Amino acid sequence: MPSENDANLVACPSCDLLYDVGDMHHGEKASCSRCGCFLTRVRDDGFAKMQSYSIAGLICLVIGCSFPFLSFESSGIESIMTLPQTAQQLYDQGRPDLSFLVAAFIIFIPGAVLFLLLVLSTCMLRQKFYQWMIPVTRLVFHMQNWAMVEVFFIGVLVSLVKIGHMATVVMGISFWGYGAFSLLFISAVGCLDRLQYWNELDQLARLQHAR
Amino acid sequence: MPGETAASRNLASCHLCLKLADASLHQCPRCGEDLHLRKSNSLQRTLALLVTASILYIPANILPIMVTDQFGTSTDSTILGGVVLLIDMGSIPIAAVIFIASVMVPMGKLIALYYLCWSVGAGRPASPRQRTIMYRGAELIGKWSMVDVFVVAILVALVHLTGLLVILPGAAAVAFAGVVMVTMVAAESFDPRIIWDQQEDVDE
Repeated sequence: MPSENDANLVACPSCDLLYDVGDMHHGEKASCSRCGCFLTRVRDDGFAKMQSYSIAGLICLVIGCSFPFLSFESSGIESIMTLPQTAQQLYDQGRPDLSFLVAAFIIFIPGAVLFLLLVLSTCMLRQKFYQWMIPVTRLVFHMQNWAMVEVFFIGVLVSLVKIGHMATVVMGISFWGYGAFSLLFISAVGCLDRLQYWNELDQLARLQHAR
Repeated sequence: MPGETAASRNLASCHLCLKLADASLHQCPRCGEDLHLRKSNSLQRTLALLVTASILYIPANILPIMVTDQFGTSTDSTILGGVVLLIDMGSIPIAAVIFIASVMVPMGKLIALYYLCWSVGAGRPASPRQRTIMYRGAELIGKWSMVDVFVVAILVALVHLTGLLVILPGAAAVAFAGVVMVTMVAAESFDPRIIWDQQEDVDE
């Protein structure tokens, strides 16, 4: 009976079965044996990776927003599109609702998630605990479902295929910048393990309290 | 070895930080989220959201998703119309990709969630593992149908040759974005643990 060691107990989020995940080492992964749901993965270097991916990702996001993304040329006339313009044009064409959603899903939410992951992982690496880290972490977990970076990138590829035959489409610097951003974003979020993160935060809070 | 569930020990697992706490608490002692043994009114909420999404799905398919203005003549295109056009042009693989992403995925997700609600409501204990996998699939593909909305956003911003060729966003794009978001929330409000609760009742 694992009753004395409740701190290491976790309930499967999709079928509620209890597991003791105390004795796990770097690189090990736990899944529920009944329903197959992923439980946790232990990585000693999780925060260091999260920090580096977030820094690199934020730089790529800035690149992705500041240069031409795609350019389109037909009969000698050229039009250039930047990433913020995807939202801007929708707004100008009288669809502010859609414009707001697109901007949030592809720029603001992923940017905010990455920025907050950078702040949190830095605090974690420096072994500092602040009370605001708890609500900020909650915010990150709530926001991360609504970041649609990779979906947008697939959308870009589909659009390329759709209009590729109509005219010449050239990919700009931002296209590659945003592509790198989406890979880095996925990697950074991938380092965020719910169970390990909160256990670590608990430990830090206790350490701080003891001091 | 089917072990114990958290509920059988009167422990509630926080959906945000996975902390186990006494089920009589209303807030997670670690992160402060609302704490429930099971998500409250999970079936009713999911069903209500599914109905909303299904209603939104009608304008999303009937209204034009984008309007192409070429040399002053404008052509409306609906989601299905776009697929048919691509087939006519002979680009079967692209037509297939768009058909899967914008017709099959959202439909499949709606049907899967309706089925899950029905099977739980009707108390069918069959194959909970398969139904859990089905649920996880519906949750996973959730945001991928947003591809269509993004394609519209990109084409509107990119194809902007005034007087020659302009693409404008249609009303269906908003409705379609609504369908995707509402089904995402619907999937989130469904609690897969109730599938297993019934199984345990049968076992006992």
